[in-house]
Amino acid sequence: MKSLWLFPGQGSQKAGMLTNVDPNLKQNVENWTGVKLLDTSEGYSDSQQIQLSILLLQINEVDQLKKMGWQPDLVAGHSLGVFGAAYAAGVISKEDVFKLVSLRAKLMQSSYPEGYGMGVIVGLSRQEVAELVKQVHTEENPVYLSNQNSELQNTLSGELNAIKQVLELASKQGAAKAKLLHVPNPSHSPLMANVAEQLDYEIGKLHLSNPACIYLANNNGHPVKKVADVKYDLANNLTHPVFWETMINVALEYNPQVSIEFSPGNAFTKLLKVKTDQVSNITLSEMTIDDADFLLNKWKGK
Amino acid sequence: MTERNWHTHRDAKAARLNGASALLDGKFAKTEDVVKVLEALIKPGDKVVLEGDNQKQASFLSEALAKVDADKVHDLHMIMSSISRPEHLDIFDLGIATKMDFSYAGPQSTRVSQMIADKTMQVGDIHTYLELFGRLFIDLIPNVVLVAADKVDREGNLYTGFNTEETPTIVEAAAFHDGIVIVQANEIVDKVPRVDIPAGWVDVVIPADKPYQLEPLFTRDPQAISELQILMGMMAIRGIYEKHNVQTLNHGVGFNTSAIELLLPTYGEQLGLKGKICRNWELNPTPTLIPAIESGWVDSIHSFGGEVGMEKYIAARPDVFFVGKDGTMRSNRALGQVAGQYACDMFVGSTLQIDQWGNSSTVTHGRLSGFGGAPNMGSNPTGRRHSTAAWQSLKPADDPLAKGQKLVVQMVETFGSNKKPVFVDHLDAEEVRKEAKLANVPIMIYSEDTTHIVTEEGIAYLYKTDSMEERKAAIEAIAGVTPVGLRSNPEEVKKLRDKGIIALPEDLGVRRQDAKRSLLAAQTMDDLVEWSHGLYNPPAKFRSWS
Repeated sequence: MKSLWLFPGQGSQKAGMLTNVDPNLKQNVENWTGVKLLDTSEGYSDSQQIQLSILLLQINEVDQLKKMGWQPDLVAGHSLGVFGAAYAAGVISKEDVFKLVSLRAKLMQSSYPEGYGMGVIVGLSRQEVAELVKQVHTEENPVYLSNQNSELQNTLSGELNAIKQVLELASKQGAAKAKLLHVPNPSHSPLMANVAEQLDYEIGKLHLSNPACIYLANNNGHPVKKVADVKYDLANNLTHPVFWETMINVALEYNPQVSIEFSPGNAFTKLLKVKTDQVSNITLSEMTIDDADFLLNKWKGK
Repeated sequence: MTERNWHTHRDAKAARLNGASALLDGKFAKTEDVVKVLEALIKPGDKVVLEGDNQKQASFLSEALAKVDADKVHDLHMIMSSISRPEHLDIFDLGIATKMDFSYAGPQSTRVSQMIADKTMQVGDIHTYLELFGRLFIDLIPNVVLVAADKVDREGNLYTGFNTEETPTIVEAAAFHDGIVIVQANEIVDKVPRVDIPAGWVDVVIPADKPYQLEPLFTRDPQAISELQILMGMMAIRGIYEKHNVQTLNHGVGFNTSAIELLLPTYGEQLGLKGKICRNWELNPTPTLIPAIESGWVDSIHSFGGEVGMEKYIAARPDVFFVGKDGTMRSNRALGQVAGQYACDMFVGSTLQIDQWGNSSTVTHGRLSGFGGAPNMGSNPTGRRHSTAAWQSLKPADDPLAKGQKLVVQMVETFGSNKKPVFVDHLDAEEVRKEAKLANVPIMIYSEDTTHIVTEEGIAYLYKTDSMEERKAAIEAIAGVTPVGLRSNPEEVKKLRDKGIIALPEDLGVRRQDAKRSLLAAQTMDDLVEWSHGLYNPPAKFRSWS
């Protein structure tokens, strides 16, 4: 039985989601990072709180599954999710990954205080959106085509007015949905080069290992097996689009029988189900670890 | 003067087999020695055919090839009709292979695109099946072939059963030019049910740890057929099959053609067409043809490969299928492609994109899928001589030296399942050619070969057009509300209808309200089982009821 482990990024965090997390692990994270995790709605208006809490939730789940004897054959993380994925693949230690994400969040917060963000367009192909972006993008008002979430769902990153102009053009061209996202950074675009540079420097100091399974890289959608490629992705995925659609297409070419989506949320399982009915799905935000263990045992013969 | 040695290949083969003799007991090697056997018999730079067919995969040998030491075996030039399994590409990641010549890569098309972009894989060419099989005897003569058999006897005779597919073609290319033939066997037996490949052509046999992979690729669940597809099927039966009196044909693998197969015993019967159309087929044993066979429509079916679950049914219908004395079907992809290209009057298939001129392709951005049988069967064999009513019906009237033409029919809904237009000004394939630096645009079926396009709007009889402008107008007229279709206008449509270049459902006497699912001879997998008198045994993934 081959399994594909999926790690979402920011978006589905909610107050109280850390309730069942191992208190020792939570304490450790707070000690390593110097950040007190609030797990409240107010707390989740802060990017560092969001990023650390989601990572904590995912790593808590990874540890539990691994303790039960389960290992991934393929890991795919979306944006922040790359850190949970790299941890699950045995690339980075627990302490390092929390410190790194804490720094990442801090750098992101201070990089663009206002006027920048992201938008999403549903219903146009990536080529169509690229054409619209080309019409609007200027050096003063930059806008970039960013994440490829599915064939007809792509995001924009850049200056807010430029994003709004592209969204308007997209609506005129018949997009089913074109709206701003609640993201305060132009993530996954060249505008994040400064943050990536500093992350790259910090990562250079860490001891990382080759992935124990196939790691699907955000920045180009390729399956990689070398530590250098994972390292590049962890440091630089903020400056590249997340090629999620390609990552999943590649993952499916390895014929996984099971997918496990780590918390929070179930968005990526939904996208996967549109593509194939040949994969059995587990979403950890909707069941206990024991339920997941039961299902994995049941499907083991596959 | 020293005399030239005229048998260097034979000497080299003997030396290699000699080098592996410690691992061999006669022709037989042990399962656990497979990696060592491959390391001993394959040399760097070899041309290697790894049997990846459309359905059958030499999966034991492909997994072993991905485990050889890349210091010993590297830079292989792989020749595969179908790139289907992850390890078919892993060998490139590992440096075991560097070059690939292939036909179809649908199940691995994203990674193939990536590997070409990364230069991890160098592509020779993307072939039609017949081109690739043909080149095995000309300029891609293999050093080693790795194939799969169901049963092998103590002498080394092979039984390949229902899924013979291209095994004999691959083995022949090696066996008669001093290549090494290595076979994985599901089972070693005292006596094979029949000899599909004689022992004399085989060098090494290795019992596999588990049976070769076999996929039911041509099973279509009738429940997934839409009423739009039924409408298009009715139009095709009236406006093409009946009009051109088509007796010999090949169907693609989509739901459109499944709908037609299931309409023959109902709608076709109502039209009184039984015995007049669709008698001789080149086709995999598709379960949706069972009702037509049982109703007496079908005289014969020759097949490229088998289909999981159809074994008992086929064995019980030897008048229709090609069945050995042992009671199992004999398939052959190379001969099937020859028959499909040269001996059939019509090919009906589907595609993902059609451009304004009528070229079609299933290659899209990021997916270099290659093509299956469509480019052979969907091309007009200009050297054909034999005459039939269907072929002659496409002959231009004004040329005394004119000859007939093969019917090549594309059936598409104007918008694809991704809600994007199927009709486009330019195929994605044009861009893919640049990205992958291919010599040719990966077009599946060329405009010049396409004689008819069927959509939910109507039929375009492209063979009747006498200029590219008129051909484009005919395509626009049936392209619905796609950007290409919106260029059409009612006046133009009327003109084309009057000239018989396009036909709308009402022109064909097809009523849209009659296109109901109840018109299908079978509406569920269960119905197909019933039509087969319980002989058809659907694979597990199609058993929604159990």
